[in-house]
Amino acid sequence: MNTFPWLSTVVALPLLSSFPLPWLRERGNHLVRWYCLVVCLIDFLLLGYVLGSHYDFSVQGLQLREDWSWIPALGVHWSLGLDGLSMCLALLTGFVTTLAVLGAWPVTRHPCLFYVLMLAMYTGQMGLFAFVNMLLFFLMWELELVPVYFLLSLWGGRKRLYAATKFLLTTGIASLFILLSAIVMALYGKPTTWDLSLLSIKSFPLALQITLYLGLFVAFGVKIASFPLHSWLPDTHGEAHPSTCMLLAGILLKMGGYGLIRLNVQIFSQAHHLLAPWLIALGVINIVYAALTSLAQRNLKRKIAYSSISHMGFVLIGIGSLTDIGMSGALLQMISHGLIGASLFFLAGALYDRTRTLILEHIGDMARPMPKMFALFTASSLSSLALPGMSGFPAELLVFFGLALSQAYPLSFRIPAVALQGLGIVLTPIYLLAMLRQIFYGKQTRLNHRHFVDLGPRETFVSFALLLPIVGIGICPQLVTQLYQGSLSW
Amino acid sequence: MNEWLYESAWLVAILPYFASLVAGGGLLVLRKATRSLREWHRTFLMGSLATSMILSFLLVQAQLGGSGPYRWAMDWIVSGHLRLQMGYLVDPLSSMMLVLITTVGLVVMLYSHKYMAYDQGYVRFFVYLSLFTASMLGLVLSPNLVQVYVFWELVGMCSYLLIGFWPNRLGAAKACQKAFVTNRIGDFGLLLGILGLYWATGSLEFGEIAERLARLLASQALGLFFPTLCCLLLLLGPLAKSAQIPLHVWLPDAMEGPTPISALIHAATMVAAGVFLIARMCPIFQQLGTVMETMAWAGALTSLLGASIALTQTDLKKGLAYSTMSQLGYMVMAMGIGSYEAGLFHLVTHAYSKALLFLGAGSVIHGMEPLVGWDPAKSQNMLLMGGLRRFMPITGTTFLLGTLSICGIPPLACFWSKDAILAGAWAAHPILWTIAWTTAGMTGLYMLRIYLLTFEGRFRGGSLLPYRSHQKAKPQEDGGMTSCLLILALPTVAIGWMNTPWFHLGPGPSPSLIAFSSMAVSSVGIALLGGCVAFLAYQRATLGLSGLSYQWPQLHRASYNRWHIDEIYDRSWVRTNQILAERASALDSWWIDGVANGAGLIGLVSGQANRAWQGGNLTYYALSMTIALVSLLAIVTFSTLP
Repeated sequence: MNTFPWLSTVVALPLLSSFPLPWLRERGNHLVRWYCLVVCLIDFLLLGYVLGSHYDFSVQGLQLREDWSWIPALGVHWSLGLDGLSMCLALLTGFVTTLAVLGAWPVTRHPCLFYVLMLAMYTGQMGLFAFVNMLLFFLMWELELVPVYFLLSLWGGRKRLYAATKFLLTTGIASLFILLSAIVMALYGKPTTWDLSLLSIKSFPLALQITLYLGLFVAFGVKIASFPLHSWLPDTHGEAHPSTCMLLAGILLKMGGYGLIRLNVQIFSQAHHLLAPWLIALGVINIVYAALTSLAQRNLKRKIAYSSISHMGFVLIGIGSLTDIGMSGALLQMISHGLIGASLFFLAGALYDRTRTLILEHIGDMARPMPKMFALFTASSLSSLALPGMSGFPAELLVFFGLALSQAYPLSFRIPAVALQGLGIVLTPIYLLAMLRQIFYGKQTRLNHRHFVDLGPRETFVSFALLLPIVGIGICPQLVTQLYQGSLSW
Repeated sequence: MNEWLYESAWLVAILPYFASLVAGGGLLVLRKATRSLREWHRTFLMGSLATSMILSFLLVQAQLGGSGPYRWAMDWIVSGHLRLQMGYLVDPLSSMMLVLITTVGLVVMLYSHKYMAYDQGYVRFFVYLSLFTASMLGLVLSPNLVQVYVFWELVGMCSYLLIGFWPNRLGAAKACQKAFVTNRIGDFGLLLGILGLYWATGSLEFGEIAERLARLLASQALGLFFPTLCCLLLLLGPLAKSAQIPLHVWLPDAMEGPTPISALIHAATMVAAGVFLIARMCPIFQQLGTVMETMAWAGALTSLLGASIALTQTDLKKGLAYSTMSQLGYMVMAMGIGSYEAGLFHLVTHAYSKALLFLGAGSVIHGMEPLVGWDPAKSQNMLLMGGLRRFMPITGTTFLLGTLSICGIPPLACFWSKDAILAGAWAAHPILWTIAWTTAGMTGLYMLRIYLLTFEGRFRGGSLLPYRSHQKAKPQEDGGMTSCLLILALPTVAIGWMNTPWFHLGPGPSPSLIAFSSMAVSSVGIALLGGCVAFLAYQRATLGLSGLSYQWPQLHRASYNRWHIDEIYDRSWVRTNQILAERASALDSWWIDGVANGAGLIGLVSGQANRAWQGGNLTYYALSMTIALVSLLAIVTFSTLP
């Protein structure tokens, strides 16, 4: 327990600093966006400082704990803490959100409201990873939905209202399961507690574990876009503003994976052992099915959205592999995809700013007018297809090893599962390279090339900033895996 | 000295990497400055590769001097009991490959300076070249399978980038994707094979796997089935990289890339990576008979198939590409029958000869382009060439040297190695030998056909030229390019002397003189026969080969269309994949989305009902939230009641 509530500050800062925004709006979006960027950056740096100075990387378990009684009648505590798992994702949140704000630089429509929502989302995401109280976890989960809904319905594409409603209904209904499970978990047996670390000590009967596990899986499965709960994702990603997409693909999807590891795996480990094969089955379906679907998409953003679904399959398999290796791969895949997905969506947005269309048949021969865009798009796509030297590769490799070496499954299960999972590495380049070919190669289409300017300094910077950790992790994955190595055992 | 040398062996691969990263980063950030400093960048990139080359020569010298293999590794990923390492291994095999890659790479860079001089992407080209060379060096230095896999993919990526170097060529756009995906199918097998072998033996080091596998097999703890399956899967990787049946389809299409690339990647180095990996894995494969047989037959069939297609090609580079495929088939077959030395020897001799041929082809194309246009269908079409040796004497002469070498005419390089392979095949299996021997005859035929059509006879391209005055224009050769050809002619002539009955470099016994001469007579005989047929048909026109193709047009068409294998793949795999994709997409939009939307619709209707009933304008979300909160309060109240 440290004296200053560092984590609460980190979590609350973005939301609190969004209050003065309405008074800044006279000057168009200039002041607002700088203000917001600085807030995001300060928060990210603050998190980095707190981790650097008050966090002991060699120690496992929750650190930076803050614990105050909040609603005594319900036994709810305002309790925060970070361990390796949540710390990595919190860092990812800070990083991607800051870049997303920079990516949203040209927004001129209601900039004030836009940035308020971005900051609210920041708090929601950061809080989700930092709170170790089940009720607050749920509150943050819900807090997250509201800004996404408005960001989607106000700044989205043509079908934005449909997409926004669908998103809200699907994730909203699914999150009810979290609440119900939380209530049951808190009130079952003694003591009545909402604290995650205390809940993991409680012993639940197996039937209850399975029920709760399934309930929570619905909630988290929707977020992580597990088959067949993924149908919100292509619509949402297809319609959302690029920087919203960065947040959705970069962080929102990871909330599901985080929830799965934090609650399903760490609290209901017995049920997890029983149900893990289903996770692997779903993961395999995710990989193959979404890769195939992605190939048939004509809309660039929907294509990338399905590629996200496909990559989340590796997370499911890693979690279901019942090995430390696989789990480590799953978390690395979440981080890696957070960066790669954000990068791809950002570049898709930058492309859309120029072509004003996302239909791939209408785009072509973009390599000549936009060489930088070509290079960075190619790099992002290659990292998405798990090229060695980029972060996707060690992540998927670990998941492969985790499943192949898992002692929990018979060989007759592992061989087909690994083989089907391997199909993903054949299918992924097919759709990604076909996408690159359609955009950048080939003959000129009816778009007028003279209007196309290459990526500007801001856009290049955002892409580079995302690619740098991708390559860094790819070359030296230990940089990240060391951070969370101990925290994943269960 | 040796100590220091071995400790700095990692520089061989890292230097070109570093250089390409610096130049590539510069190209992205400071585009204009980098492009205006292109000479400086080229010198920088070539300098780093030259340093690597010097180091490689020192390493090979140390290895020949008898110092044992040197291994160094560090942890890359540690997770639980899994330890993946990165490092390097210097032994005779890897040091030989290092020299091969750096020398060919450097000559190709020197050549590209002229060949790509007017290209917009000059610096980018050199960056890719350097990146490729570095990845290839990393691959041959790999001490374990995971590192092999890493660089294997990186090499494939560079090949992808270089085939698609000119993005607005439609053919290139398709070819680079085809190459990458086909290689990924191989990688799929490679990865599964690695996982399986690791599961079975608990190791990723070549030597350790072989040892443990032998122990497991001896103690009957492991049946033959599982390791055979793993090794066959693993074999898919080399088969794809080395363009062997059934994954050979990408190599001819890869000729869409710039010609120096065809010389370096798709003839000399990367395609040999498969053979290299097989050589590395030989102690493991040797324990599994099925794997060896599969390898031998795949190689033999590929060599025959490649030769049979090369007979009728009209595109200069495609003809050479099929020749490459055929020669790679020889190497893989040699590996399969256990004559590793012969296979590796052929790898080296073939690399220099084929690099020479491709660079010669580049010189021809470069000369043809101003005359017939910058269209590969014209500038690479042998039907429009002819008589070029008069205008390009050095190119013609060196090309002839390369041709004779590939045909296996003594005393040129490939003669020695091909002969060793044939001797091995004779000892292993008569049918294999027959195939290899027939292929040798066909090699003589198609190689000389290529040479004669291109360099001898009458120049046929003039008819294409628009003005009569232009028709007098003749193709020119460039001094910068021909000097590279002369450099490569040297090893093409001389490198075969490394391993003859009289002189032998490296470990192992030298071939016996009697077996050697009997083989030599038969193989040179058939090659000469093939050559004579070509001479009579294409030079003297006394032998009506064209009549043959009129008599059996199907046969000619089948050979020209690559035995329709590409079409069959298109109709089966590619089409299946497309149909599956469409089905999955339809399933997604009709059923999965439909269920979600249907549920939403039902919710909407009941929501409307609720709204009427409650009289407020609550949204759905608020409604569900309220219900949730109410139930929460209810439960809490009930549970806190005494």
